[in-house]
Amino acid sequence: MNTLYLDGQSLLHRLSTRAKLGGLAVFSVFLFAIGHPALLGIAAIAAAFAYASTGIDWKPGLARLRPAFITIAAVTIFALLFQPPMEALIILFRLTALMLAAAAITATTTIGAFIDTITWAAKPFERIGLVRAADIGLSVGLVIRFVPEVTLRYRSIRDAHQARGLKVRPVTLLVPLIIQTLKNADEIAAAIDARGIR
Amino acid sequence: MSTRDLVLVALFAAIIVALGLVPPVSLGIIPVPVHAQSLGVMLAGVVLGAKRGTLAVALFMLLAAIGLPVLSGGRGGLGVFMAPPSGYLYGYLAAAFVTGYISERFVQSGQPGIVQGTYFFVAALAGGVFACHLLGVLWLAYVTGLGLQAAFLGTLAFIPGDALKALIAAFAGRAVMVGYPLLPSRA
Repeated sequence: MNTLYLDGQSLLHRLSTRAKLGGLAVFSVFLFAIGHPALLGIAAIAAAFAYASTGIDWKPGLARLRPAFITIAAVTIFALLFQPPMEALIILFRLTALMLAAAAITATTTIGAFIDTITWAAKPFERIGLVRAADIGLSVGLVIRFVPEVTLRYRSIRDAHQARGLKVRPVTLLVPLIIQTLKNADEIAAAIDARGIR
Repeated sequence: MSTRDLVLVALFAAIIVALGLVPPVSLGIIPVPVHAQSLGVMLAGVVLGAKRGTLAVALFMLLAAIGLPVLSGGRGGLGVFMAPPSGYLYGYLAAAFVTGYISERFVQSGQPGIVQGTYFFVAALAGGVFACHLLGVLWLAYVTGLGLQAAFLGTLAFIPGDALKALIAAFAGRAVMVGYPLLPSRA
């Protein structure tokens, strides 16, 4: 599984994660507060510039945006049916600006930087006793570590079904997957405790 | 939170990720293959209960947010939280919580299989269909600006498929309850 981060030296790459996330929040509020299509169009163009500045190539850059843009196009068409065309234009610009800004931040922020920021943000909750900030990074690491194993187990179960001539059905596939995966929990927990990680 | 609970949450989040990575499956009568990821969300509630199920889904969403392509179709990044269908993603959280809560409340170990299965089905419908689609529609209507009428019409098309997934989640939940019960009781 490759992350969506791309190495580079742009301005966005050099900004701190907190600044980028804060900026995105402010940008979102701005986008929803403004109702004028011209201003929203300018915002969309600015976001497009930000995305282009990350240094991403044309093809992968557009490929990333495609799923989101398909839904935006569908919504715009739907909106044209039920609402005046100016409204549909506002929706189009607003959502496109959001999509581009978010994609720009994703392309310029490493997983490590995100985890550091989230751990920092969770510290106040740690004082209340709601969560341990270090647990967040640990859990993310655990999931990344175990996804390949779960995928492999899924394929083995599916192959075992097919070898026995059974049709591949969701229930008969998922139940062994869940039980076998979760049964490892005790061993893994013991390994974590033995290493004093937590 | 015990280490074992933390690991259970992480492992289930890995299951949800894996369900988006493997090829889509055909769900019985529906000819179009679908990704089993939303099924995984209902399963999180049914197998782990409200708290751990919701945490598993939250962890999964965190992975998507930090830039891993874990959403079905290889999608990820902050953009998936700000697009028109994002309401359904936030709805996953509500789905896991509602499904888990109802499951904990009504399902007990002594009950006959058909009763447990029925409760799980109700729980999965309430969470995976009702709660999830509610948030999806609200997001489409108000954040996307589509308006309630259009949003509601648009969501209706997906309800039969999700109801079928709820049925599958009920069967699977009952089978997991037999094999490796993890559901805490809140009765």
